[in-house]
Amino acid sequence: MDAIPKRSNATERRGGVQIGSPKSRPHTESAIRPEKVIIRASGFSLFYGEKMGVSDITMEIEAGSVTAIIGPSGCGKSTFLRSINRMNDLIPRTRAEGLLAVGGQDVYDKRTNLVNLRRQVGMVFQRPNPFAKSIYDNISYGPRLQGIRSRTKLNAIVQQCLEDAALWEEVKEDLHKSALALSGGQQQRLCIARTLANKPKVILMDEPCSALDPLATARIEDLIAALKGTYTIVIVTHNMQQAARVSDRTAFFCLGKLIEYDLTDKLFTNPSEKSTEDYITGRFG
Amino acid sequence: MSVRIRQVWDRLFTVLCSGSVGLLIAVLLLFLVPMIVKGGKAVFFRQTVEFRKMQRDLFGRGDLDSLHEAIARTGQARQEVLARIEQFGRGIDTKLLSDEAKDAYRKYGLELRYREVSREEYSRLRAAAKDIRDNFLAALDSTEEAAANRFLDQVDLHRDSPEFQATAVETFFTLSKQYRRILDEMDLAHREEYAAELDIVKTELRNLLGPLPGESTPPLPQDRFGATRWDVAKKHLHYLLYQTKWVPGDSGDGRLVKKEIRRDDPEAGLFAGTELAPLFSMMEKNLERMLEPEWTVYGRYFLDDSTSGHYFGGVGPEILGTLVLTVLSMCFAVPLGVLSAAYLVEYAGDNIAVRVIRTCINTLAGVPSIVYGLFGLAFFVLIVGRPCILSASLTLALLALPVIIRASEEAIRAVPQSYKEASMALGSGKFRTFLTVTLPAAGPGILTGLILSLSRAAGETAPILFAGAVALGPIPDLGLKFRWLFQPTRALSYGCYDITVGDRLAMRVPHNQFGMVFTLILLVLCLNIAAILIRSRMSKKLQGM
Ligand SMILES: Nc1ncnc2c1ncn2[C@@H]1O[C@H](COP(=O)(O)OP(=O)(O)OP(=O)(O)O)[C@@H](O)[C@H]1O
Ligand SMILES: [Mg+2]
Repeated sequence: MDAIPKRSNATERRGGVQIGSPKSRPHTESAIRPEKVIIRASGFSLFYGEKMGVSDITMEIEAGSVTAIIGPSGCGKSTFLRSINRMNDLIPRTRAEGLLAVGGQDVYDKRTNLVNLRRQVGMVFQRPNPFAKSIYDNISYGPRLQGIRSRTKLNAIVQQCLEDAALWEEVKEDLHKSALALSGGQQQRLCIARTLANKPKVILMDEPCSALDPLATARIEDLIAALKGTYTIVIVTHNMQQAARVSDRTAFFCLGKLIEYDLTDKLFTNPSEKSTEDYITGRFG
Repeated sequence: MSVRIRQVWDRLFTVLCSGSVGLLIAVLLLFLVPMIVKGGKAVFFRQTVEFRKMQRDLFGRGDLDSLHEAIARTGQARQEVLARIEQFGRGIDTKLLSDEAKDAYRKYGLELRYREVSREEYSRLRAAAKDIRDNFLAALDSTEEAAANRFLDQVDLHRDSPEFQATAVETFFTLSKQYRRILDEMDLAHREEYAAELDIVKTELRNLLGPLPGESTPPLPQDRFGATRWDVAKKHLHYLLYQTKWVPGDSGDGRLVKKEIRRDDPEAGLFAGTELAPLFSMMEKNLERMLEPEWTVYGRYFLDDSTSGHYFGGVGPEILGTLVLTVLSMCFAVPLGVLSAAYLVEYAGDNIAVRVIRTCINTLAGVPSIVYGLFGLAFFVLIVGRPCILSASLTLALLALPVIIRASEEAIRAVPQSYKEASMALGSGKFRTFLTVTLPAAGPGILTGLILSLSRAAGETAPILFAGAVALGPIPDLGLKFRWLFQPTRALSYGCYDITVGDRLAMRVPHNQFGMVFTLILLVLCLNIAAILIRSRMSKKLQGM
């Protein structure tokens, strides 16, 4: 509650959903200390026109942790993820209800500065989408937007981000070649590096490995493990093993609703909901 | 449907498709090859000594010494022809003879005054001379040969009288002899006809060899030189040799048919048997020696200015004008078109107003160009104040706009959403994303629209007809004061139109008419190749190569 003290009024105004309603109150061992909460959703719903994308999501995400979102296709994983940095705004006639806050800032507030929000909450997409520019320009795109012009500063940022994304050794020779000449896995790591260059607090990843082979997938997973702690990572995946390998907590979505949200070990070994069990054992879907 | 029938259908479809492509290529060749062959003659042709003279006089080019040598050589070859035409002209146009006669009489009067003679003697001799003169003039005026000869007999009565020995009066006797010879050959009743035909012959001789001896330098540059090109010379030779006549046809129903008759044809030719008759075969035989044609590549055609009416010179100002108009119109149309397209795709959404706008744009793309021309006249020319480069290029921009908007719209729409998302997710605004991501990715598509409309803008005549194109006008100096913006300009398309509708011109300078089309095709081709190169570099970059 302390993380977003100002929000309580607004929440009431939006339909009186109480933050931390008992339904999703986590288990004691998985409880997140209030000062560690970075993303907080409370009765959050998003509609595409009349159609419901997600409804009544209430969950908290811990700063510096890796959170996985799993669920059958079309259950609203991407919708929820894209709500966090308001990428859904690009789709006409979307409408949000309830509360969604990042670092104490209401995301869907009218006064929210989208540019700042998206700088804080970076996103890696399902398909690698580097710009048709050089590797260097891809990574310096964000910093340049922020007004960094100095060549030495940019050089340092590019090298740092590429090293963080474990790509430096592979591309340091051809920084000024087109990013499209890289392999799919390299491109995806480049996209992660590009996101890192903005120094975000949160990185959202929407099935980052779905277009990659197992080896490249392993590298990305290593990368996620390395980034953990410094960044808060929310990752959508269809791969249960992956979720189990990389995440601290896992959320299970189904038909636009959050069914279960718990520590990953707990959710995979001892789910409290029947549909979760059906899904992770493959009897569902 | 059985597999067999489907195979037949497939085969048929392939044949149809390849057939239509073949047809297209054939039509293209059918259309382009004559253009290129005819237009190429503006650059590759056989020049004559007159061409070299013209180049020297108008542009100060060429070696003076060798030119003088050539003029001397050709002058020799021309001499006899020119002498003959002058001689013959005397018989037809008696003015020369009568002038000489009057002159001789006046001279004699002066001679008498300086001689020591008595007053009576003076009046007597003078009266006699006057009598001779009047007789001679009467001979010139009479339309019957017998009468004329009678008057000449009167003149010749005094031939042996000692009083007139070694005086100016003797001139009358030589003139009389000359005139008798002319009378022998010529039918006096046809003098008018001779005079008319001789005029034509003289005109054609001027067209071939330049001004005839004794004529003053013509004021218009195009009249100062003969045929500068061998192909034109051959055409004029034909006009010189042949006369078209309407004669009763063979069918016997009295219908007239057109027939070409050689002017020295022994049976039907008007000049047959006259002193002039040998001139025609002489011209035919010696024309090459008179003009000394030789193959040349006139590369400066693309740079040279021309004389009025495009008789000589090149199409430099036209090329410059066309380039300026095209580039300027693209400068107006491309930003406007791309911005409109961006608005339609990224901001406008989809409602009735937008759909109406889109329909309007599509309709505009099909509006005939003359409508744009009239609009340009009624709007831009009125606003700018006069027909000039600015109003013409604005009109052209308007013509190009719909095509550019449509192509850009498609291109912008085709940019993958993921590109825009990537940029937005990095915290870039809508406008910034458009500028840095969408626009470069849509570049090749936008360039395609530019190529399409550029060719059209460069080649259109109707829009600039009233809005700022002229056949003869200032050359844009492209100075930074932009005064050239408010001057009219020449343009290839308009120049070609002007030659084609100017009846006299198209016959005399067909090479220029096609030369301009040829140049226009070349120019558009160059512009297009440049744009295509840029486009391929762009899309290569977009594909990461
Ligand atoms: N642009 C859109 N317009 C309308 N409805 C949409 C749009 N995007 C998604 N939806 C709907 O929202 C619901 C949730 O979609 P979402 O993309 O979030 O699913 P998902 O869980 O990410 O599925 P997947 O695992 O296949 O990616 C679906 O029913 C879908 O039909
Ligand atoms: Mg998805």
